Amino acid sequence: MNQPIRIVLAKVGLDGHDRGIKVVARALRDAGMHVIYAGLWQTPEAVVRVLADEDADWLGVSLLSGAHMTLVPRILDLMREAKLEHVGVMVGGIIPEADVPKLHAMGVARIFGPGTSLDDIVAFLKEPREPKP
Amino acid sequence: MIAALLERLRMGDRNALARLVSFVARGEHLAELNIALGHAVNREGEAPAEPEASANAIAGASGSAGASPSRSPCPARVVAFTGSGGVGKSSLIGKLIPIVRAQSKKIAILACDPQSPLSGGALLGDRFRMGSPLDDGIFIRSLAAVSGRGAIADHVDVMIRLCEAFGFDVIFVETVGSGQGDVAVRNLADVVVLLLQPESGDDVQWEKAGILECADLVVIHKADLPSADQTAAQVRMALDLSSACHVPVLRVSTKANQGHAELWEAIDALPLRRQQTSAARLLFQLAAEALEQRFREGDPEVLKVAEAWQRGELPTADAVQAVLRILTHV
Repeated sequence: MNQPIRIVLAKVGLDGHDRGIKVVARALRDAGMHVIYAGLWQTPEAVVRVLADEDADWLGVSLLSGAHMTLVPRILDLMREAKLEHVGVMVGGIIPEADVPKLHAMGVARIFGPGTSLDDIVAFLKEPREPKP
Repeated sequence: MIAALLERLRMGDRNALARLVSFVARGEHLAELNIALGHAVNREGEAPAEPEASANAIAGASGSAGASPSRSPCPARVVAFTGSGGVGKSSLIGKLIPIVRAQSKKIAILACDPQSPLSGGALLGDRFRMGSPLDDGIFIRSLAAVSGRGAIADHVDVMIRLCEAFGFDVIFVETVGSGQGDVAVRNLADVVVLLLQPESGDDVQWEKAGILECADLVVIHKADLPSADQTAAQVRMALDLSSACHVPVLRVSTKANQGHAELWEAIDALPLRRQQTSAARLLFQLAAEALEQRFREGDPEVLKVAEAWQRGELPTADAVQAVLRILTHV
């Protein structure tokens, strides 16, 4: 069935730069997705709670604070605890190249850095996935 | 699969509740759920106990082994919040959540935002105004509402019953916020709270038919603004002209953090008016949706009738009958 993709977009930790995530939110909305905007200064615990209650297909977190190697593993751990491994995770923002393979190894599906075209993000999210358990 | 999910829901599994709400939002398994939930609500002692409650019941039932914890099925209080976009529905709900929780009541919030009629996409941005509660007694779900369907998402009534089956005591429904004529909420809520803001209309505005008639309680929100008293007085006068003179008008300011406790007290004091959704209504609704779907698909036979009517070859009444015959012929 052609059901809209449900994606939670959140800024985690002490990071007030939300222009990028709002632009992405608009692009995904216009691509026919249901975007749940969780906003700024979220804790990993709060984000995982949103994923559960919203029965999301995807999580998009944006980090420009440099805290990604602390916060992203924490989110992934909490997602496993909450039995939400089926939710795909994408990360956007300023992620140094050296950290990209490490985040992939932890289970992040895709990392989008500066200069990414919105079409690429939309196309990536619309790739066929295994149905939810 | 639905039976297994319902079983998990009754054991207090949030993921199961969230998944079932998704099915309902997509219009899937509605008849099955309607029947299963109908039984759950009607059968004595079958009300799902929250995990703590059932643990207490087991601990206290040492003398009578095997006795099932009989907690009388207690319907939730369903409160709908409506009013135009930007009036502060989400922020107000965010302030009411801790007040409700302080009374040890579990609360679910079903927050509707509009879905684009062009792309089908939606930005669901209510929950981020409600704080980020990590409390297990709070469930917040964002829903996309198709335009022109009464300012709420489809089948919210079934979602309410899922939340009741999970054990929520209070359920808030936030409408899309069109403000005029979105009266569908009245059928599924015990209490309809209408939010208005200062400077939002002159005294004739309140004489118009529609939402003011449906409100059980009116909130003049942003009451920190200077003309709040005048707006409150105008609304009071409009209500006093009709039989709705018992409808309270409360001034609340979320900015100044005033009036929320009084508002909840007033909501909680109103009677539970909601009637159980009749199975027939759900069936009629599904039939109406199926018919609407056929309209949207643009049946070629219907288009032929339309063209004939436009050319003046067919009287209007006959054309209407012809369209109905085509669309209802399965």
